[in-house]
Amino acid sequence: MNKAKQMIKNARIIILLVFLVFAVVAIHPNPYAKGVAIRAVQPNSSAQIAGIESPQPSATPMSRERILSINNMPVENVADYFKYTFELKPNTSVYITTNKDTYILKTKPIIQVEYLDEYEDKEFIENVLVNKTYINETTQEEYTVEEEENRTVTKKERKTNTTIVGTEDLGMTIYEAPKNNIRRGLDLQGGSRVLLKPEKKISDQDADVILENMKERLNVYGITDVIVRRAGDLSGNQFFVVEIAGAAESEATELVSRQGKFEAKIGNNTVFSGGEDIKYVCMSSECAGIDPMRGCWQIDRNQWACNFRFSITLSPQAAERQAELTKDLDVITEGSQEYLTEKLILFLDDSNVDELNIGADLKGRAVTDISISGSGTGATQQDAMVNTLESMKRLQTILVTGSLPVKLEIVKTDTISPILGEEFTKNAVIIGLAAVLAVALVVGIRYRKIKIVIPMILTPICEVTILLGIASLIGWNLDLAAIAGIIIVLGTGVDHCIIITDETLRGETEHIFDWKKRFKKAFFIIMGAYLTTFVAMLPLMFAGAGLLKGFAITTILGVSAGVFIARPAFAAAIEILLKE
Amino acid sequence: MKLEGLKNFYDKQYKKLLIIPLLLLFLSIASIFFQYFTTGDFINRGVTLKGGITVTIPSLTDVDSSELESLIRSNFPGKDISVRILKAEGENRGFIVDAELESSEDIKLLKELLAENYSLDEDDLGIEIMGGTLGASFFKETFWAIMIAFLLMSIVVFIYFKLPIPSLAVVLSAFSDIISTLAVVNLLGIKLSTAGIAAFLMLIGYSVDTDMLLTTRVLVRKEGTIQEKIFGSLKTGMMMTLTTIAAVLTALIFARSDVISQIMIIILIGMIFDIIYTWIQNVALLRMYVERKEKKHEQS
Repeated sequence: MNKAKQMIKNARIIILLVFLVFAVVAIHPNPYAKGVAIRAVQPNSSAQIAGIESPQPSATPMSRERILSINNMPVENVADYFKYTFELKPNTSVYITTNKDTYILKTKPIIQVEYLDEYEDKEFIENVLVNKTYINETTQEEYTVEEEENRTVTKKERKTNTTIVGTEDLGMTIYEAPKNNIRRGLDLQGGSRVLLKPEKKISDQDADVILENMKERLNVYGITDVIVRRAGDLSGNQFFVVEIAGAAESEATELVSRQGKFEAKIGNNTVFSGGEDIKYVCMSSECAGIDPMRGCWQIDRNQWACNFRFSITLSPQAAERQAELTKDLDVITEGSQEYLTEKLILFLDDSNVDELNIGADLKGRAVTDISISGSGTGATQQDAMVNTLESMKRLQTILVTGSLPVKLEIVKTDTISPILGEEFTKNAVIIGLAAVLAVALVVGIRYRKIKIVIPMILTPICEVTILLGIASLIGWNLDLAAIAGIIIVLGTGVDHCIIITDETLRGETEHIFDWKKRFKKAFFIIMGAYLTTFVAMLPLMFAGAGLLKGFAITTILGVSAGVFIARPAFAAAIEILLKE
Repeated sequence: MKLEGLKNFYDKQYKKLLIIPLLLLFLSIASIFFQYFTTGDFINRGVTLKGGITVTIPSLTDVDSSELESLIRSNFPGKDISVRILKAEGENRGFIVDAELESSEDIKLLKELLAENYSLDEDDLGIEIMGGTLGASFFKETFWAIMIAFLLMSIVVFIYFKLPIPSLAVVLSAFSDIISTLAVVNLLGIKLSTAGIAAFLMLIGYSVDTDMLLTTRVLVRKEGTIQEKIFGSLKTGMMMTLTTIAAVLTALIFARSDVISQIMIIILIGMIFDIIYTWIQNVALLRMYVERKEKKHEQS
């Protein structure tokens, strides 16, 4: 009893316990976490409209929103989710309860539009600027003010025939609810990693531009659980690493390689595409921003919309093509403005992102400077403006990146299926437990004292717990290489406990009563071993595109936690337990 | 009695025993050079160090591995293709296919071939594709990483003990350990991946541990005879190595991942060599050093 008291009062043991508590808080284990977690929400999907948000990539796994039930039917796993969402009918309300809120989603129908060869008149409400003349009451002078006005216009539109062919997906990608904050790397959770290498050496600035663009581009697809980072190696090669959780190999390479194919079409003909055809994209405030002519307006009580515009410069060839394609189009009059019958449609990777009216004055003319516009919506005017500027930035990025400073080449891909990843994770835990048991058996045979064996096994386990806590806290991804690092930590942990114990026992037989002297010797050996392991791991931090960096960092972190926190506590515990 | 005799022999004939590690080291170097002259490479490079594709097919057990191999070979004549069985807990858990394929058409063909013949879903496969130039540069990179790691480790050892000859003995022991392990890895035909390189780095740390223990006990400690010090550290050091071997063996039995298995087998081989190089080679060199120092001391 007295010894237990002594242990709790010992400073080294207190330090270890404090770290352990912090580690457990950071790991936040909850084996009863229910439901499916939301990985990403597609823009403009039913889920996003209902207010469900994509989690920040930096958000800890346990803080991610989890779906608990759909229409009051509990969702226990991914299969449940698909079962319930598969049955949904279009234009119905779906109640989704998460651990944070309840959302009412409206399912969208998938509509097939058939264009008929007939035209009909349709009424539109348009916001236009008009010059209004007023009379100043005091001076009786006339003055003109530009004002916005809503007016109803009638346009000729093609008649369409629409049929509902199904229900659109709710727009969420989901995965089994995480049970703790430990982030698993790709090879433990399933997903793809693509390593890209620029064709020639690029400056740091260019590399940053590419990195930003790749992030933006992947965001276009609503993929948020993606890591894009730069990497290098000892020979000075540059790499970009893209990691997409849950993606298959073909999916990932396609995403990375096809991204950002931008085309502007009139009818079925391409006028210009990203890259060669676009010489310059204006990013400064004079020629890019919220459209001063159209601005923002309220659609209904809680929805606002804004327009943006920015100018781009086309190559002469592209301008020529535009002239060729527009010269035979008819002019239609809408209110005060004259447009051509066909619109300029912007496609990003074959999906329609925007449609622009072509002013009648552009008909048949080869103009190189043109203005690109688009819109965004939001609940308030402020929101709408933010969203609009965001979409503008996205589109600008896509146009600019068509002309990236260099081509990126895929040099390596690796993919682990989610099933295999799950299996590896379980397997790693089994290996860990079995290895601890085997080590316990060996030290048990040697020391035959439970008061030595238990602390000796607990110490490395504490070290690994602290390591996992740190990893959770800094958002470090644990992959298979990191598991190898954990093995080193466990191994050196037990080894060093053996050194401490043997020094202590030896001191007893040789009647060295100064405990400090005994530990000093033990720690001289331990520090030496620690330093060699530490420096041996350093080169891996920089070598080989950083693919073994996880291994190096895990080992260094874990062994440091061991040498400075857990192993001194073990020495203190052994001293108290063995002292007569 | 027999144990006593062995102990006595180990204690008295340490210089003669030194022949064993020196011969081992010589044979290892010779075998690595032989490998180099016959294959043009010091090691068997796996896909991650050479370029190509590795496909992990889990849960495919009712197929014969040679059948699978000949099926793939017949579709890609002239290419280097090998099929390994993924074993865990003594049972087959699937296959790993290594193929020297790089073009995206070939890779697509391979995936389709596997999918069609064994009704597999692409989502279930683990696929790693490594470009040839990157593979070669990876090999160079990791090779340099080991060199630098070894150099840094040596510097730490020299600074730590401040005595050139004992420090050299420690560094030589780690060097011999790595060389012999590499020779055996080659002889077993193991194809090294980047994970294997990581294992060699782990080995640097593990093998130096026991050498540091020995050198500290023999040189820094004042009390006891040199025999007592050596047997004391042998007891501790063997315990350290044994626990590591116990852990590595269990991991080898249970591991389902190729990466983990390779790391474990390399450490296992390294640990066995570590026993010889620490407790025969390093002990002998250290004793010779201590005796020479004592002689000098007596003379002066």
